[in-house]
Amino acid sequence: MLRKGEREYVATIFRDHFKVDLRVIDAEDRFLDALANCTDPERKRKIIGAEFIAVFDQQSQTIENARFLAQGTLYPDVIESVSTKGPSHVIKSHHNVGGLPEHMKLALVEPLRELFKDEVRQLGLELGLPRHMVWRQPFPGPGLAVRCLGPLTRERLHVLREADAIIEQEIRAAGLYDDIWQSFGVLLPVRSVGVMGDARTYEEALALRAVHSKDGMTADWVQLPYDLLARISNRVINEVRGINRVVYDITSKPPGTIEWE
Amino acid sequence: MAHQLVVILDFGSQYTQLIARRIREQAVYCEIHPYTISVDKLRALQPAAIVLSGGPSSVYDTDAPTMSAAVYDLGVPVLGICYGAQLTAKLLGGEVHSADKREYGRAMIRVSASDSPLLKGIATDSDVPVWMSHGDHVAQLPAGFAQTASSANCPMTAFENRERRIFCVQFHPEVVHTPCGAQLLGNFLFGITKLAGDWSMASFVDEAVAKIRAQVGVDGRAGLIRRLPQR
Repeated sequence: MLRKGEREYVATIFRDHFKVDLRVIDAEDRFLDALANCTDPERKRKIIGAEFIAVFDQQSQTIENARFLAQGTLYPDVIESVSTKGPSHVIKSHHNVGGLPEHMKLALVEPLRELFKDEVRQLGLELGLPRHMVWRQPFPGPGLAVRCLGPLTRERLHVLREADAIIEQEIRAAGLYDDIWQSFGVLLPVRSVGVMGDARTYEEALALRAVHSKDGMTADWVQLPYDLLARISNRVINEVRGINRVVYDITSKPPGTIEWE
Repeated sequence: MAHQLVVILDFGSQYTQLIARRIREQAVYCEIHPYTISVDKLRALQPAAIVLSGGPSSVYDTDAPTMSAAVYDLGVPVLGICYGAQLTAKLLGGEVHSADKREYGRAMIRVSASDSPLLKGIATDSDVPVWMSHGDHVAQLPAGFAQTASSANCPMTAFENRERRIFCVQFHPEVVHTPCGAQLLGNFLFGITKLAGDWSMASFVDEAVAKIRAQVGVDGRAGLIRRLPQR
């Protein structure tokens, strides 16, 4: 469910920069089996959440004496906000260990729970983390699964991963990556007819999404330059087998959401 | 490594988090607490100043959020914003009325007290744009308070009791549509409260590392956070 090269990227950061004994578990088959024939967005998220915990639980049992779970909880999740939750709904974050089973009994370590997202980015720079990492755009927990509409297969995820990598490359090359809240592709289970090199094609469509936002609560679609849109469309269709049409999503939030699922 | 704390009491405004962010941007640590917090608990937090947020209610609604007037006796400066200003007027003996015209969006105010420590540096010889969002307004000030700014729709746009260090504004200094907002908050934090501005991510690192060590122990398994060589 990760983006292209992401697994290697994370492993490098943790092993080479943090010198941490990182275990990378390849659970692709397990996730895909559980998600086979699932197209409902809510069920997708639930299945992924449950599988994640199952894998995490299984693996943590192979580590002796694991007593803590570090979690990146931020201040907006912690505030006992009158406006959103009402004063009687006090969030007790230690009761909310991401749905981990009781028997794990892990104590939470949440060093960022007093910080806003922009402060976390400053902190990252202060700690000397690579800029590239600090300014990474937000990415949903269930990963590419919620950007691959319709049935999830290894092949369709591969198509999306390749297209998404081209989008990121082009947005970075245009110098726009840090200014944009999120930019990504969504693979649609819609086939249309095309013609490539005198041959008829009948392949899926990719929706390009790019939004400006301050906090993710509201968002405006980005008025990307036409030549950049042209480059992305051209490269995706030429380089990614399985996509023969690229469309641009011009919906703000509200009424839309940033992610499609 | 304790840093100074400003407490924001949340009365339900959609802008409460914005107040917190604007204060943190000025290198001051702040926390948001619900208005239901007890005075004892509030005192125990040892805030250097208190900000009362806006809110969707009218002070005369049944079940309108309120607090103990003892908050004003804690001896620290208080800034009331919108509902926080109306509540202050009501709790200290003033009067709040429902306005003839509600005021939402951009409005022009005129500062009348050039010596107001809260409005210092804001033009007094011309109208100043601010962001308003209110139906009620303060009609009569409590004893000891003086009006410091007004708008066509809302005579008591800003008022204060300098001696008790209680300052109130009907408009929203925390939104970007109030260009003088940062100046006003800065006046409150540094001019009035004399805060040091001791909140930075640099100081946070040491504090956070010490906290994690205390929780996790120093058996080598908590070595995750360390400064990386700058490149």
